[in-house]
Amino acid sequence: MTSQEKILENIFAYLNRLAPPGTPIHPDIDLIQELGLDSIKVMDLLMEMEDEFDISIPLNVLTDVRTPAQLAHTVIALLEPADGLVR
Amino acid sequence: MAELYMSATLTQHVLPQRLADFSTLSEALDYAAEGETGLNFYDGRCRLTAVVQYGVLRREALKVAKRLHGLGLQRGDRIALIADTDLSFMEIFYGCQYGGFVPVPLPIPSGLGSHDIYVKKLKGLLKSCEASAVFAPAELVKFAEEAVEQPMRFIGTAKELSLRPMPSVELAPSRSDEVAYLQYTSGSTRFPRGVVVTQRAVMANLQGITRDGLGVQPGDRCVSWLPFYHDMGLVGFVLGPMASQLSVDYMRTQDFAMRPRQWLSLISQNRGTISFAPPFGYDICTRRVRESDMERFDLSSWRVAGIGAEPIRAEVLSRFAAQFERTGFDCKAFLPCYGLAESTLGVSFACRDTGIQTDRINRRELEHHSQAIPFDGPDGNASTFVNCGAALPGHTLEIRDDSGQALPERAIGRITLKGPSLMSGYFRDEESTQAVMSPKGDWLDTGDLGYLSKGELYITGRRKDLIIVRGRNIWPQDIEYLAECQPDIRPGDVIAFLIPGEDEPQVVVQVQCRIMDPEQREHFAQSLTKLINSEFGLTCRVELVPPHSLPRTSSGKPSRAEARKRFIQQIEADCSLSLAAG
Repeated sequence: MTSQEKILENIFAYLNRLAPPGTPIHPDIDLIQELGLDSIKVMDLLMEMEDEFDISIPLNVLTDVRTPAQLAHTVIALLEPADGLVR
Repeated sequence: MAELYMSATLTQHVLPQRLADFSTLSEALDYAAEGETGLNFYDGRCRLTAVVQYGVLRREALKVAKRLHGLGLQRGDRIALIADTDLSFMEIFYGCQYGGFVPVPLPIPSGLGSHDIYVKKLKGLLKSCEASAVFAPAELVKFAEEAVEQPMRFIGTAKELSLRPMPSVELAPSRSDEVAYLQYTSGSTRFPRGVVVTQRAVMANLQGITRDGLGVQPGDRCVSWLPFYHDMGLVGFVLGPMASQLSVDYMRTQDFAMRPRQWLSLISQNRGTISFAPPFGYDICTRRVRESDMERFDLSSWRVAGIGAEPIRAEVLSRFAAQFERTGFDCKAFLPCYGLAESTLGVSFACRDTGIQTDRINRRELEHHSQAIPFDGPDGNASTFVNCGAALPGHTLEIRDDSGQALPERAIGRITLKGPSLMSGYFRDEESTQAVMSPKGDWLDTGDLGYLSKGELYITGRRKDLIIVRGRNIWPQDIEYLAECQPDIRPGDVIAFLIPGEDEPQVVVQVQCRIMDPEQREHFAQSLTKLINSEFGLTCRVELVPPHSLPRTSSGKPSRAEARKRFIQQIEADCSLSLAAG
């Protein structure tokens, strides 16, 4: 079973590797405006999510995603058809 | 989901090859349908997700054409097509060809948080082409609905169309003097321009590309991740292979962006022979490759590694060639070319099987006298340009000065072009059309700057971007390139342009910068200013801007004109603010 928390944990693990030490990372931080993720890093993050959860993330579902919380929500939605046990 | 019994279409078949010698796209598909080749779609992990032979595609397109008539559409109506890399794009695009309608491929959204920007862009495009129907992939229909402002005969997916009744109409495919499609190209979001391409123009260009540019032969197989709404993706890798009956392996642009190495896997896996990318595509592969990949890649089949769509830096390609040499990549496969949507796609191609040829010229002569004089002095005083080859047969390139006078070889000027591939104009935009085409409509001013040597073309820059300081011509790309060579700065992160100043014009260099610490930022800006000064002898204003804030054209090139406009507006706004406050 994959929970939203588990997904957030993964996203944070990734962001912690890139962000300068001491940057506060929280579910509602703006990935581009505040964390300054460029398109290559966004792609890397998405690839990690795809591989970790074995899903395919269509880019057009990301047009309303700006924060880790929103990204986790999107990943959950993509998992649902494959895994009825999702929270 | 990939199905187990699916297998990719063949590379070889018995149908004799014809290289785009048809009078329309529908005739070309009629012929391709007699063979066994076709199109293959792959996901981000190189698994086959859909396959269609040209024969099946033709049958589906004929049904689409009838159902489009069933919607009450009139001949010549524009049908907007939000173009993801999938089979339904193909069915609707060719359905329009058989039904006598005009398809208009439009971009898909990309990037985090881009919802509003995308809808705004789509609105402008739908309005400009005066579409009567919009097709979109299921996930994107809501964007289309949001963007639509005029009455539409249909908004939905290809699948929804297939549930509509199929009237028994006599189909009259688009004729050779009719419009084959509209191609939206670089231009601001607010004023998009649709290039009108007739069947005659597209067929002329496809014949030039496949026969003369690429030298297509039986056994060729194409691989592409270029978007279908981009001229290089559409003409080069949708229409070109179809008109020469080649199989194609597609991956989506977003999958390439996420996993660029899969492009090379796909070429290895299917023995691809023809594939194109802008220089950044080669660059990102070089940067991302892992040692473990080298064993799996076999790039020895890759006969034509085309490069287009942005200025070509030979260094980027040499790095790629050096990195992938042991996977069988042959640097002679590199094929630089020059083109633009206003001439359908292809204008000139370098010679095949020679690789990158460059011309090293005196930078001082270039800047002061607009002359390309061969030079063997020190690097600091040299500029190097890549040979983009001679114009396709039937087309003529001429370099002209600002008064329209033709210039001799090795003089730098405006690149103008004549030939059968030219657009008929921008869709319902007489003013923009007149700005680039001669009154008779036979010459196109490409807006680019360059020179000819032995009839072969070298691109030196975009005319409207040229920076002229104290009588010297400075190429913004050169300043940008210098800045991009700094640590943490990547290709595409920098835009340089000129703004009017009090005494003399000022050069502004905007840099997308990821450094957070204010002190480090200040230090970086200062050292870059110094560096540019030492290289070009001018003091510029370095502005650090957030990532993703620099404007781009629809083909992803940095838009200097737009950046400049915004910057000037900002200064004016700041000025009036301080006046009001004072």
